[in-house]
Amino acid sequence: MKSYKWMVWGALAVAALVIAAQSVDTARAEEAKILVVPEKAVLTPDLLKEPIQFKGTGFGPGEVVVVELIPPAGLKVKAVAEGENVGLAFATTDDKGAFDAKMSPVATLNWIFQVGWTPNMKPDFKEAKPLPPGSYQILATGMTSGKAAKATLELLKPPPKEEKK
Amino acid sequence: MRTRWIRWAVVVISAAFLSWGLFPGVSWAKEVAFLDLSDFTGPVAGLALPSSFGIEDYLKDVNAKGGIDGVKIKYIGVDTRYDVARALSAYKSYARDPSVVAMEIVSTPVGKMLQNLLRSAKFVCLVPGDGEFQAHIGNFWPWGPTYQDAFAATIDWVLADWKKKGQSGKPKIAVLSWDNAYGREMLRGGKEYAEKQGVEVLPSELFPPGSLNHDVYLTRLEKAGVNYIYVGGVDPTQTNVMRDASRLGLPKKIQFISDYWGPSALGISLHPEALEGMVVISYFLRGDEAQNHPLLKRLWTTYRNQPADKMNEGYGMGVGAAITLVGAIKDAIKRVGADKLTREEIYNSYQKVTGLSREGILGPCAYSPTSRRGSDVVKFYKVTGGKIVPITDWVKTPDAVSLHKW
Repeated sequence: MKSYKWMVWGALAVAALVIAAQSVDTARAEEAKILVVPEKAVLTPDLLKEPIQFKGTGFGPGEVVVVELIPPAGLKVKAVAEGENVGLAFATTDDKGAFDAKMSPVATLNWIFQVGWTPNMKPDFKEAKPLPPGSYQILATGMTSGKAAKATLELLKPPPKEEKK
Repeated sequence: MRTRWIRWAVVVISAAFLSWGLFPGVSWAKEVAFLDLSDFTGPVAGLALPSSFGIEDYLKDVNAKGGIDGVKIKYIGVDTRYDVARALSAYKSYARDPSVVAMEIVSTPVGKMLQNLLRSAKFVCLVPGDGEFQAHIGNFWPWGPTYQDAFAATIDWVLADWKKKGQSGKPKIAVLSWDNAYGREMLRGGKEYAEKQGVEVLPSELFPPGSLNHDVYLTRLEKAGVNYIYVGGVDPTQTNVMRDASRLGLPKKIQFISDYWGPSALGISLHPEALEGMVVISYFLRGDEAQNHPLLKRLWTTYRNQPADKMNEGYGMGVGAAITLVGAIKDAIKRVGADKLTREEIYNSYQKVTGLSREGILGPCAYSPTSRRGSDVVKFYKVTGGKIVPITDWVKTPDAVSLHKW
């Protein structure tokens, strides 16, 4: 009788473990994630040739995802009101809820370098005010599912210019 | 102590409910909002900013007079700097705010993304002039006639001009525009219309926005024997094209025609020689007609505090859009009451303002359950002696959208 009781308790414990493991798995599968590539980017015009990318998983299938930078308190970003996030990139997810988005040249010029624009639609670097080097929070949000994921982008100072000999 | 506090709370809440019940007709301060995802400092700010000023000022004026049956309209302007990610991010911030009952965007790619997001929801989104939104009736409402309808009206003008000049044979026309969806849009239906009318459409010459020299494209078109060049882009593109064309001596043998976003009176005054002789098609008043229009002049001088001759005519385009918005809100209030101004009701009302007058700044409103065209008339202007002067009255735009296979 005693051994039978133990068997029941044992079976229940195993079942509980299986259910718990499955729910952890499900939660993991549904958890939205974003990766910034590269995580550390040097503030040079090379960012126009090799733009910052964002790779996400765990979002809803076929939904629009917008990737934003959350400006730290006190940082003024050109044309962005205080408290607003700055849209950096967007993408539509595949049927597994994954996406790959790059910052467009216009976005890099507008938000990383904060350039002005001439009437001839050319970026005006004289008016540029690049984001200060430092760590920035990145937020990706699925516009339909509402799923969100965060990551960090670190902007590094450009290397000092080599002196001409 | 606690009992007394509860008693007071009950009294206050009851009084609030009672006053609500006693004065049901009294409208509490109500506000709806219009979201303008525009380009105030970015690459196409020259076009977008004056229009946004027009919307903002007309709404300010309506609010200053007490609103519409007590309902005030808040103008929310967001500078998207012609960036889709920024526009989507701003849209995300305001999408859940039910007071935002209509919006405007200035970029075609943003429209394409929003199309996916809005799906079956009903939400008025004003857009530039893509005929696609007339072909697939939904949430997107071009400000005026579609780009292809404007091109078709130009074909009618070209044929009349060709005849007037005593020319024989078929005139040849080509598009010279930005290399993007906008630059191709006018021929999606416009080409079919031209061919139907006996006008030969040569292959377009498309170039990256911001190009400063157009000699290659112009020379190729000249060699192809073009008679009319339809120039797209946002000014100063047209000014730069005309500068290059003048240097090559082309305006003497080819007639240049600008689409809607060509030079303003201010731009012409800066480059009168280069632009001399250019024809401009417009669905809103330009030149002196705009700057001396009583409503535009009053709004501009009151809210921008500048003389009328400093007004960019895009201002009138914005005022026209705001008149339509106010007309739709009035209709919705009349139909469902000020308490029920939802996005869907505003959407329904946009379909009911057919024929609404925009005080002659634009033609009468052409929105209806089957039309997303902001209007269906245009005027032709010509740069003459450094000024932009009308050469036609309002003329009806043909339906070129329906000629394209969508």
